[in-house]
Amino acid sequence: MTSVGFDPAAPGADLERHGIRLGDVLFQGIAVAASLAATALLGLIVYQVTSDAWPAIQEFGASFIWTEAWDPVKDVYGALTFVYGTVVTSAIALLLATPLSIAIALFLTEIAPRRLAAPIATMVELLAAIPSVVLGLWGILVFGPWVRDTLEPFLQSFLGWCPLFSGDPSQAGMLPAALVLTIMIIPITSAICRELFSRTPRDLMDGSMALGSTRWEAIRGVMFAYAAPGIAAAVLLGLGRAFGEAIAVNQVIGGANSINVSLFAPADTLGSRIAAQYQGATSSLQVGAILYLGVILMVISLVTNVVAQVIVTRFERARRAY
Amino acid sequence: MTAAPHDDRYDITTRSGGLRRRRITEKVFAGLAVGSAVVAVGILALVLGTVIHRGITELSLDFFTKPRPLFGQAGGIADALVGSALIVGMAMVMAIPCSILVAIFMSEYAGPRVSVGLRVVLDVLNGVPAIIVGIFVFGLLVVGRGQSAIFGAFALAILMLPMVARATQEVLEIVPRSLREASLALGVTRWRTTLSIILPTAIGGILTGVVIAVARVAGETAPLLFTSSIAANQVSADVSNALPTLPVTIFVFSESPDPGEQAAGWAAALVLILFVLVLNVIAKVVAGRQRRKHEGA
Amino acid sequence: MKRGALAALALVGVLALVAGQALAAPSSTKDTQLVGTGATFPFPLISKWIPEVGKAYGINITYSPTGSGAGIAAITARTVDFGASDAPLSDQQLADCKGCVVIPWALAAVSVPYNLPGLNGRVNLSGPTLANIYLGSITSWNDPAIKKLNPKLNLPDTKITPVYRSDGSGTTYAYTNYLSEVSPAFKSRVGVNTSVNFPTGVGARGSSGVAGVVKGTPGALTYVDAAYSIQNKLQFAMILNKAGRFTTPGLRGISQAVSQLPKKITSPAQLKIVDPPKAAGKLAYPISTFTYVILPTNAAKAAELRKFVYWAVTQGQKFGPPLFFVPLPTPVKAYAYRELAKVKAT
Repeated sequence: MTSVGFDPAAPGADLERHGIRLGDVLFQGIAVAASLAATALLGLIVYQVTSDAWPAIQEFGASFIWTEAWDPVKDVYGALTFVYGTVVTSAIALLLATPLSIAIALFLTEIAPRRLAAPIATMVELLAAIPSVVLGLWGILVFGPWVRDTLEPFLQSFLGWCPLFSGDPSQAGMLPAALVLTIMIIPITSAICRELFSRTPRDLMDGSMALGSTRWEAIRGVMFAYAAPGIAAAVLLGLGRAFGEAIAVNQVIGGANSINVSLFAPADTLGSRIAAQYQGATSSLQVGAILYLGVILMVISLVTNVVAQVIVTRFERARRAY
Repeated sequence: MTAAPHDDRYDITTRSGGLRRRRITEKVFAGLAVGSAVVAVGILALVLGTVIHRGITELSLDFFTKPRPLFGQAGGIADALVGSALIVGMAMVMAIPCSILVAIFMSEYAGPRVSVGLRVVLDVLNGVPAIIVGIFVFGLLVVGRGQSAIFGAFALAILMLPMVARATQEVLEIVPRSLREASLALGVTRWRTTLSIILPTAIGGILTGVVIAVARVAGETAPLLFTSSIAANQVSADVSNALPTLPVTIFVFSESPDPGEQAAGWAAALVLILFVLVLNVIAKVVAGRQRRKHEGA
Repeated sequence: MKRGALAALALVGVLALVAGQALAAPSSTKDTQLVGTGATFPFPLISKWIPEVGKAYGINITYSPTGSGAGIAAITARTVDFGASDAPLSDQQLADCKGCVVIPWALAAVSVPYNLPGLNGRVNLSGPTLANIYLGSITSWNDPAIKKLNPKLNLPDTKITPVYRSDGSGTTYAYTNYLSEVSPAFKSRVGVNTSVNFPTGVGARGSSGVAGVVKGTPGALTYVDAAYSIQNKLQFAMILNKAGRFTTPGLRGISQAVSQLPKKITSPAQLKIVDPPKAAGKLAYPISTFTYVILPTNAAKAAELRKFVYWAVTQGQKFGPPLFFVPLPTPVKAYAYRELAKVKAT
């Protein structure tokens, strides 16, 4: 029964006389509790992983990050191989995905006819919906062998002088992993770019073209300048995604222990190494070392994420000033 | 007026010279843009096509009714389907009420600074890699107790929370203030206003957020690898034990040398992709309907 | 208001159902259920055991092959009822396990499959050659060292891709144990463990993973339980033993490898059977290994565990030969019974 009037006999009537309603207090209390829980959860994740890694952090110190070693027999560990792998695969993925994503976003907002734009945009988003384990399955059984048999020999035929493309083609290595990551990043970055481009004030673009610029010049001069921070944020978010991807990378990267300059050779990343070895670690120091890798990964992801947030917030503030 | 020597090359308004070069540049970049879109759609078609082509032959009644095989036998994914359904279902029950409450707090009760702070917390939580969530839940719950579907659901719920909360919060912001104020002016308590009036108005957007979160989480492998990966090869609904799941099953099959298991992997991937794609399409339809409703109103 | 109340009731009902299911799991099924994880090596045999034990005792066994390292870690953390490993526990691991027994329950061999299609015969390899391949000093199939062992083969100029286990693996333990015996360079550079730092090669998870990579990569070679090689129709190499013969990981090869065991076994160290001496026999296969089940000495389900392991060690052995597992020799069985007696109910 909806009670709109004040009922002195109802529970909480005393409070209500002072303008405080019991139901409201309870509800607000639950809402506050939920929010505190969410915040506490984030803190707990950081705390738990760091404290589990603490023995290794104490043992190896900061030099762990630039030590290249992973020897469970001698119980000596270092993260450099995996930091290198993470950085290189993500960098390559970013280099390839960013121009592609921007181009796709431009296509969808500027070039494609309205009726075509929506279904194609949907298809690009569906690329993001493919679970990473399925991309990894495709990577192991189809893409990896193709890279080994076709792409890498092709690259080697005219780029073989460069150490990056030296060595024997392999189906598991830095290159297939970077390419799989590219496929994962494109939908995220292009969706954000598309949002940005479609929200560029039309009058700025029209003004530029009225002054005689071609459409591309308007895009380059106006749209990119306007959207630059947003593009940076999109790139960073894609980067964060690339850093954190463990499963698909683990399936196609080959699990190496040391750094190899060639992109064809097996490598490993932070997430992939954790996925491979966490459950089978032979000593508590190895467990600690793997968790230390987790701490490094967590810090890298958090920093990337926070920087992206800051850019977005500043950007929104600047945009509102328009 | 003394006329400067006229050089067509630099006169951007003439047909020859600068304009032609600029027009060519324009066409080149347009071509690149089209090419990129073609590449992206092409990759999607390639991956989906491969999954369909290699997986469809394996689909059979047996595949959907038999549990995963032991060494050297034939089997299906019945137990993994049941396990995935239960774990995702429990994750939804754990995550959705909490997410909605957080969103309500952010939009109804919190001051602007707290609200922004919470938004940052949620976005950061969203960016925590799934594998870190996996080792977090493992260290917190599984050690000493053993794996269980409930722990797996908890890990997935952690992944769902920021997605649903942010989606809900954005939709709640759109609900017109006039609605709230009218309700409060009539004397309806604040909590009842939120629950009976604001939420139902926002339900479309919330649903979209939920569907997208479920689609993302249904395919997550890393957290389940640590919390629900050692499971019996039989259909079971006992959630206190680990249950097999579709993504972990695909992961295991993907590394197998046995062509039979690889084929089963493709088929399982097909089932998972279909499920995820259908969810995404539903989300789009609901979002589209919501948008039209708001624009029309 | 009414709708809201109904919705809330429904939600509570659903929650109660789920919670009730979870918490009030019928204790009867829990008591006759054993969960284990560990080595991928014995998985073919355990797969055969599971339905049989179910039929014989009504015990429902769940086994997930995740690697010996994971098995040791899991039983140490007591997240499972039993662990399985091809590697015996080190002193530190035994201490960490806080009261565990390690019982040999199967015996098989590590095969060395390779992928060289169209070769006119089977490849012969020796321990030192394998060590050099995995150290990276032999990189091609037509290397002189390999040619010397195979004078009649037309070895191609293909690159050798050594494949190793990227997860914690008892098979790695057995293999590195053997290579360290025959190659001092390997012992000092790599060593013996379930997870080692191989200087070269490609890593893959699980016995399935390494077999899969070999199957798909021409020129690749790996170390894996014989049952996986056979099931995936991979050709495996013949290995040179101390008697000077090239042998296969067959039943006779393994039986001869264990023929030199003492009559009474008192410690797991005596179960090391890699690189058997000449006296073992002409067909002795150099990379044979026992595989173990790890049980806590204090277990709530001690009765079921003892039934299961006793059955495995006695009647379970007859399922072995088709999968290239040799029934346990008598001294080992006796050792197993003695260790099993230490498993008591809490």
